[in-house]
Amino acid sequence: MMKMPTREQARKIWGIIFVLPTFLFIFLFMVYPLIYSFYISLSDYNFVYDVAPKFVGLKNYFKAFADPTFIVSMKNTFCFAGLFFVLVMVISFLIALLLYYCNHFSWFFRTSIFIPIVIPISLVCILFSWMFAENFGIVNYFLSDVLHLPQWAHAWLTDPKTAMDIVILVSLWCCIGFETILFLAGLQGISSDLFEAAAVDGATGWRKVFYIILPNLKETYVITGIWAILQGLKVFVQPMVLTQGGPGNATLVMYMHIYNNAFLHFDLGYAAALAFILSVIILFFSILNLKLSSSK
Amino acid sequence: MELKGLAKIIVIMLLITLSFFFLLPVLFAIFTSFKHQNEILSTHLTFWPHDPTLFNYKYVLERGAKYFTYYKNSIIITLGGVVITTILSAMSGYAFAKLPFKGRDLIMLLVLYVVTFPLAAVIIPIYIMEYNLNILNTNIGLILPNVMTVLPFSVFIMRGVFMGIPKELEESAEIDGCGIFRTWLNIMLPNARNGLALVMIFSFYNIWGEYMLGKTLATEDSAMPISVALTLVKGENWNFGVLGAVIVLAIMPPILMFIIFQKHLVKGLMQGAVKG
Repeated sequence: MMKMPTREQARKIWGIIFVLPTFLFIFLFMVYPLIYSFYISLSDYNFVYDVAPKFVGLKNYFKAFADPTFIVSMKNTFCFAGLFFVLVMVISFLIALLLYYCNHFSWFFRTSIFIPIVIPISLVCILFSWMFAENFGIVNYFLSDVLHLPQWAHAWLTDPKTAMDIVILVSLWCCIGFETILFLAGLQGISSDLFEAAAVDGATGWRKVFYIILPNLKETYVITGIWAILQGLKVFVQPMVLTQGGPGNATLVMYMHIYNNAFLHFDLGYAAALAFILSVIILFFSILNLKLSSSK
Repeated sequence: MELKGLAKIIVIMLLITLSFFFLLPVLFAIFTSFKHQNEILSTHLTFWPHDPTLFNYKYVLERGAKYFTYYKNSIIITLGGVVITTILSAMSGYAFAKLPFKGRDLIMLLVLYVVTFPLAAVIIPIYIMEYNLNILNTNIGLILPNVMTVLPFSVFIMRGVFMGIPKELEESAEIDGCGIFRTWLNIMLPNARNGLALVMIFSFYNIWGEYMLGKTLATEDSAMPISVALTLVKGENWNFGVLGAVIVLAIMPPILMFIIFQKHLVKGLMQGAVKG
């Protein structure tokens, strides 16, 4: 005779049922591909010519470090990520401070600062590549005809010296809004008792910032930091759409190199190896951020 | 926190400048879409349209077919993704929060860990998998991986939301004789409305603007979402007015949604951020 399941047992069973679809998704689209990807990275696999991957061990990984283009892409990625990380954190924090202390028109300010986030990055890049175009872009026009400073007009996107700067600028435009909101949330989470206590002790203005605000934003740093790191190291869309990695290899980032190897050269084994190297780097910095934020 | 006098003025001026900086490109796209082609390309560029015209929009809507396909794909992919993500995260979030089962914490960690991996590491096998299943260049072929990219964070949000619902509600439902599923449907969900809204909004924006998956898994025109398709127009057709019109059409849904849901979005993000 079958016993009716107790409430406890029913919970366990339902628990598994409820989680199953999600688990399946993650397994199918993350875990399994990761394992398969690792296997491919250890093989020679040209998608067009080969029928199946051919195991060759760590050859692809060694090839990566001997590949000058890869080294360039690594340099570019770190350059971008480093600058991006610092700028986005500092600027977003400062803007959050401004918003925190300003109670007027807050709907307008918050909306305008946050709007870039909701626009697809690829479209933003099209827009900006248009604005920064050398001959009919509004930026050059503004500089030369409105401000009468034609010497400042530039081949923004085709000059190797400025191309990366523009990529960083566009990335900042897109991402500052999100980080600002997170910082703002963190700021509003600091209880006013702390501020009152500090006021009693005589702290004013900037000292308040350093001694009260910064130390109490630790949890916020974790989220904002990780997000900034991920956005920085995983950058793909902006250089892809704005400059296609050019001019030359000036804005070729690691992600693009992976993409080119996989979908232009069809050398999937090598591309997979590159992808794993990138993922290890990202993991390293994410853990670093976690450790630093919790111990600070 | 109140500022006095000069400090307040400086802060407001700074914020106005910043807002201007963030709004300018958007306004530029909108204004350009209303300009004649010759005004756009003339050596004397203007910001405001001197002679506003709907020609560009007419052009797009008439030549409609191609752009309409991209739009349709984006809508199907995004809506499909949002629906699936919302349902799945509502289910798993509840399970992680309230239903004890073996390995629960382990799987939660796995879900979070997965977020740190770059898409590039998995996109190749996904491409191969879809190639073998013949779902490349289809809408479903894009919906599924897109769900994957937003699911972990959504589950995390829903878990937090459900954990915040007091146990008493559950217990009173149990006393009234509801099974687990009924409890979930009739008691839990209505109380989790904020979280659900946040998940829907979050997944909407991320899927609508998603580029990497779209670019690799949809190489044919018929299957491309708008976020990818528009980037291809860049080289071939410097008809700025039309480009502007298309961009405006493509960014209108997200912006409108944002303006309507702005309060929820910001509040939800802040809740999520503070709870961590």
